[in-house]
Amino acid sequence: MAQITVYNAQKIITMDANRPMATHVAVRDGRILAVGGADCADQWGPVTHDSTFADAVLMPGFVEGHCHMMSGFIWDYAYAGYHDRIDPDGKLWRGKTDIETVIADMRAYASTMPDDQPLLTWGFDPIFLQSERLNRHHLDQISDTRPVAFLFSSGHLMCVNSVVLRMVGYDGATNVEGVMKGADGTPNGELQEMAAMFPVMRRLGMDYRTKAHQEKYIHQFAKVCVRAGVTTATDLFATITDQGLAELKRVTAQPDYPVRIVPTIAAMNAAPEEIAAQAHAVAAHSHDKLRLGAVKLMTDGSIQGWSARVRAPGYVGGQPNGLWNTPPETIFALCEVMQRERVQMHAHTNGDEASDVTLNAIEAAARKHPWPGARHVLQHAQMMEGGLFRRAAELGVCVNLFVNHIWYFGDQHAALTIGEDRAARMDGCRSALDAGVAMAIHSDAPVTPMGPLFTASCAVNRKTMSGRVLGPAQRITVDEALRAITLGAAYTLKMDAEVGSIETGKRADFAVLGQDPTAIDPAHLADVPVLGTVTGGHVTLL
Amino acid sequence: MSALPRLPLTVIGGYLGAGKTTLLNRLLSEPHGQKIMVMVNDFGAINIDAALIERADGDTLSLTNGCVCCTMGNDLFMALGDALDRRPRPDHLVIEASGIADPAKIAMAARAEPDMAYGGIAVVVDGENWPKLADDPLIGAQMRGQVQVADVLLVSKTGGALAPNLAVRLAALSRAPLLDLADLPQVAPVLLGGMAPDGVQGGLQGVAADHPAYVGWAHEGAERLERPALEALLAARPAGIYRLKGHVLSPDGALEVHVVGPTIDIKPAQSDSTRVVAIGLASQIDRETIAAWWANAAA
Ligand SMILES: [Zn+2]
Repeated sequence: MAQITVYNAQKIITMDANRPMATHVAVRDGRILAVGGADCADQWGPVTHDSTFADAVLMPGFVEGHCHMMSGFIWDYAYAGYHDRIDPDGKLWRGKTDIETVIADMRAYASTMPDDQPLLTWGFDPIFLQSERLNRHHLDQISDTRPVAFLFSSGHLMCVNSVVLRMVGYDGATNVEGVMKGADGTPNGELQEMAAMFPVMRRLGMDYRTKAHQEKYIHQFAKVCVRAGVTTATDLFATITDQGLAELKRVTAQPDYPVRIVPTIAAMNAAPEEIAAQAHAVAAHSHDKLRLGAVKLMTDGSIQGWSARVRAPGYVGGQPNGLWNTPPETIFALCEVMQRERVQMHAHTNGDEASDVTLNAIEAAARKHPWPGARHVLQHAQMMEGGLFRRAAELGVCVNLFVNHIWYFGDQHAALTIGEDRAARMDGCRSALDAGVAMAIHSDAPVTPMGPLFTASCAVNRKTMSGRVLGPAQRITVDEALRAITLGAAYTLKMDAEVGSIETGKRADFAVLGQDPTAIDPAHLADVPVLGTVTGGHVTLL
Repeated sequence: MSALPRLPLTVIGGYLGAGKTTLLNRLLSEPHGQKIMVMVNDFGAINIDAALIERADGDTLSLTNGCVCCTMGNDLFMALGDALDRRPRPDHLVIEASGIADPAKIAMAARAEPDMAYGGIAVVVDGENWPKLADDPLIGAQMRGQVQVADVLLVSKTGGALAPNLAVRLAALSRAPLLDLADLPQVAPVLLGGMAPDGVQGGLQGVAADHPAYVGWAHEGAERLERPALEALLAARPAGIYRLKGHVLSPDGALEVHVVGPTIDIKPAQSDSTRVVAIGLASQIDRETIAAWWANAAA
């Protein structure tokens, strides 16, 4: 007879309407056996009491419905960003709020590295610095002997030092779009877009294709998740190779691996039928902690890069409309085939025109091939408003809103991209819920840090970096936000019957918290400490 | 500069159904004498004569003429790196851009990468549907953008004659030569230059020199031009040249030159003489015109 462990906690927030609060939860065979008081499992036989969580608050393990396993390996690079950030091993990297600090911190970091290694950094975003634009002279101060390359957080830009410029032969005579030049006519170190960055990436070994699914980085990703209280996480645009799949399968199956991983195949660069066939083929490899079978579409670009497809009145600075990454015709073809073949889709749609076109495509597909349980998800869906949300609800389409943008880029959106009115309603959680749309919220880590409580706080407070409340009418309650990061996200992954709430029969996946998020001032929701997780009954404490 | 010759990259752009894969199938089966590597988005659409296929393993098709065809996966640029690292290195790399892609964003890599040479952007224009696509409220801007960056425009489905209003619209967007695919006896000279892969030592080889539809011109000399003078000379080239490549001596080392349609790309090189080859359509230019133009270099 399997052992029954009864954990007591200061409080258990279950997200189960039948018993919203409890003090004890019983676990057997990785599943929840009973919830309630100290005697909750007595009818099931002898129990062992465990007070590991006596001072903690338990919640259902958080579900991150849109992040990338790159969050694990990106920490091979030094963090050079504006905001404080904690690495998978718990080390705090202080935010660098001016160029002098960037240089000083990266110099100090480089001094710990072997001489022959390039210094590669990530997370730098010029949007947050008021000073002069980062250039090669700054990076030469970090080192003028080793290659130094700063990958900007947008992923479309980098800045390199003079060593790197020499390595790739960029000089005054270079006439390449994207190799930016200073007033003196020589390259200033900034490289824009992949074509200009590629020769550097090739020479510095920045090849990401298979990294995410290597054992070391699968573990590294798990550490990122545990720190955030996340027990189920996606890899939402995965390239799945045979070898990567074998590694994912093996590593996530280890009893102490603490995360259920949900990779979705990139639906690009192949015929829809082939993509559907690959989705079915990999789905057969799923197990308790690895869920395959869904796909990810990339429809448009990003709002802050002015590459999202937006409807009238367009961008506030008069920029031309953005770019399709997948033409509407192909979006329709993909939707039809995926719907017919019963493959769930997650569709990246940042701009409202992209959301609109994708809803049209799903509607057309659904008419031809009815599938009530499809639960396709519009990812980011940042510019959807009441009308689009109501259509999504009619069609049974879910949304996963990128509400972290309100804090990180909300001020920029109001001032520079889509203007005040649409910024105030963007990532509109209130409208989505009122329209009856199944909703999740996400970080898109490593784009913004994984941290469902922070994400929940963005949805509750809608505070921007400048301190203003952007679109107060779109704020939701703490309970609604907590639901979005648990059951809500689980629903978008079709895992809500097994995770997302603490109720009998479900998997014993918990977030272990140092404070009750429902009993504090909501302004401090993001500060609730995460102490660890429980996944299938397996305890991982920080 | 690396010991291996630079890998020239040609990018094929154009919307879905314009005829990009038909063009690639044609290219792969022509007697161009080059070991071409073709990278496509969707393998399924490539339909090569079975007799030409030597081997198929996974995502790579090896042909009996030494060419290979493969898929690029989700990271096109890293796939470029793979092509560069391949031994033996292919003579020419041809990439099929996705239907909505801006081919210039890919082709620019050939200008940036020291180990690559610019082979140009050929955009296939659907002779029947392009005007409608170009006016489409959703994708029109991207369709017009492809034409704007083209070095050569290849029109498909013309039914024998290029519609004048189509030609006018295209000409308003682009200075690139406009060719009716149905008129081209061979596509290799247009896409690759049809020249000897190992520089110009052997002069013109293969179809470019042989086929009466094409004019090939080769020159070897000791001219030495400063970079600005070379740029000025190239800017004044006769309109009928749509490809020119070679090495030109200059006071501070040789320069490698690739001209495709309106685009000029110059990189440092090593050479002990000035050697240039050019190619155009016989209906548009003759050898004497090219020679007379180049004679200005010595002046
Ligand atoms: Zn993402």
